[in-house]
Amino acid sequence: MSEPASETVRQAGEIAGDLFRRESARLVAMLVGQFGTHRLQLAEDVVQEALVRALQTWPYRGVPDNPAAWLTQAARNLALDHLRREQNWNQKQDGIAFEHERWAASPSPREENADTFTDDTLRLMFVCFHPQLSTEVQIALALRTLCGLSPAEIAAAFLTTEAAIAKRLVRARQRIRELALPFVVPTPDELPARLDGVLATLYLLFNEGYRASSGDRLVREELCHEAIRLALLLAAHPATRQPRVHALVALMLFNAARLGARTDDAGQLLRLHEQDRSSWNHAMIARGAHYLALASSGDAVSEYHLQAGIAGCHSTATNESSTDWPRILDLYDKLVRLNPSPIVALNRSVALARIRGPAAGLAALDAIPSRGTLNGYSLYHAVRGTFHAELGQKNEAIQHFRRAENLASLPSERDFLSRRIREC
Amino acid sequence: MNPQIATDEHLLLIRGTHWNQGLSPAELQRVMTDFYAWVDGLMQGGVHRGAQPLVEEGKLVTGARGASVTDGVFAESKEAIAGYFRLGVASLDEAVKLAQACPILAYGAQIEVRPVADLCRPMAEVKRHGA
Repeated sequence: MSEPASETVRQAGEIAGDLFRRESARLVAMLVGQFGTHRLQLAEDVVQEALVRALQTWPYRGVPDNPAAWLTQAARNLALDHLRREQNWNQKQDGIAFEHERWAASPSPREENADTFTDDTLRLMFVCFHPQLSTEVQIALALRTLCGLSPAEIAAAFLTTEAAIAKRLVRARQRIRELALPFVVPTPDELPARLDGVLATLYLLFNEGYRASSGDRLVREELCHEAIRLALLLAAHPATRQPRVHALVALMLFNAARLGARTDDAGQLLRLHEQDRSSWNHAMIARGAHYLALASSGDAVSEYHLQAGIAGCHSTATNESSTDWPRILDLYDKLVRLNPSPIVALNRSVALARIRGPAAGLAALDAIPSRGTLNGYSLYHAVRGTFHAELGQKNEAIQHFRRAENLASLPSERDFLSRRIREC
Repeated sequence: MNPQIATDEHLLLIRGTHWNQGLSPAELQRVMTDFYAWVDGLMQGGVHRGAQPLVEEGKLVTGARGASVTDGVFAESKEAIAGYFRLGVASLDEAVKLAQACPILAYGAQIEVRPVADLCRPMAEVKRHGA
């Protein structure tokens, strides 16, 4: 019997903490590249099995010198085994026989390197975020395949059941097969629109994590970091390295830098001016500023540019009073023109009130054209309540804080609002 | 009287190979890291004398002259042996204690603790008298 000499057995601590997740995403992308998008489920199963094999082997034999290469080879072997079995069962089906022959003939069909990895991942991103899939399906699929989260983990983030997420994923894979979505980066004429779709979903994914309206907090922060990671991949790739991608990265970094500071030790929500700014992640803010600078290389100004500009003003101010509110208002004015949504207008009213006072804020709220849609929105009433409170109009303030409290979905939000009511 | 004499070694037979139950990559890695930390503890304690995992496949040979060769149920089975650790500890109690600390028990794995036998007692006695 061969004994693992203790010096060749590496400590598990030497494996990067997210090795399995990173590798599973990389390997799924690689295998989909070789099998085609219609075999996404097979790719996922094979990768999962490879990870299980690692768990069944490494603790006994030691962690291999190159864990990633080990997992790649294991996944490759398992895929080949699977195709071989399929061929035995379906001798007469030419397509599968062909697939198997192609694999058997070239066990390493492509050189693996960092470029192949990012190319495959980029292609898989364009599959996951395909406009023919609904947004919620896109997000679930991306978290499963590009981020390596399990249905249970995705369900925890969205406060739904594992079964519901699993069903969503089955539907997604089915849809990909039906539509025969190609595993390619879109052609230059399609790319701008497709890229916009990818960015919009990534931003949504980030906000799902950032809003903290429901679900497990750690998982939700993970969503933010995954959205940033995927956006960084786009920002690094020659095909998608564009100013608005850089702007989105900057926006997400600025906001993510404040993630930990938004609640106190007891889990109570803190407003921007109550947060301990020294606990913001200043390295992340600096990275955000770097990407914002990269974003200004073109002529086009996207919504992300403006949003990142606003987030940058908040992130780089040393305190509430030294915040450059006129600049923030200017950016909101531009944003309202670009995206005249009531929610943008609501945020603009807060910036306006900082400069011209709460009465001007209220007037700005009343001037929002489609204000009715904000009535069911907790934040709208919270903002209104704040303006009234600042004007000393206690009754109106309490009335709006109560409505906000009723509409709030998270206990910490309700606690925050009942505190505001008590302060009136 | 037990006709066998134990050596100063014990085998821990790890049973249960059904890992593929929807654990996410992060969870699988967590299990592996914990499992590995336990192995590392055995090494630090100087009792780790060897370990081997077993592949989830194999044959079951039965009947006179091995008339029956079947596939056996090794995959996804609670009882199938997934691997073993050979420990340099003389006391069964100590071996049990080490086994109890193994984190994969929490995931449904079972550990069979068996003293490794040396020669059977009569033969040992024959040897001793002969010497």
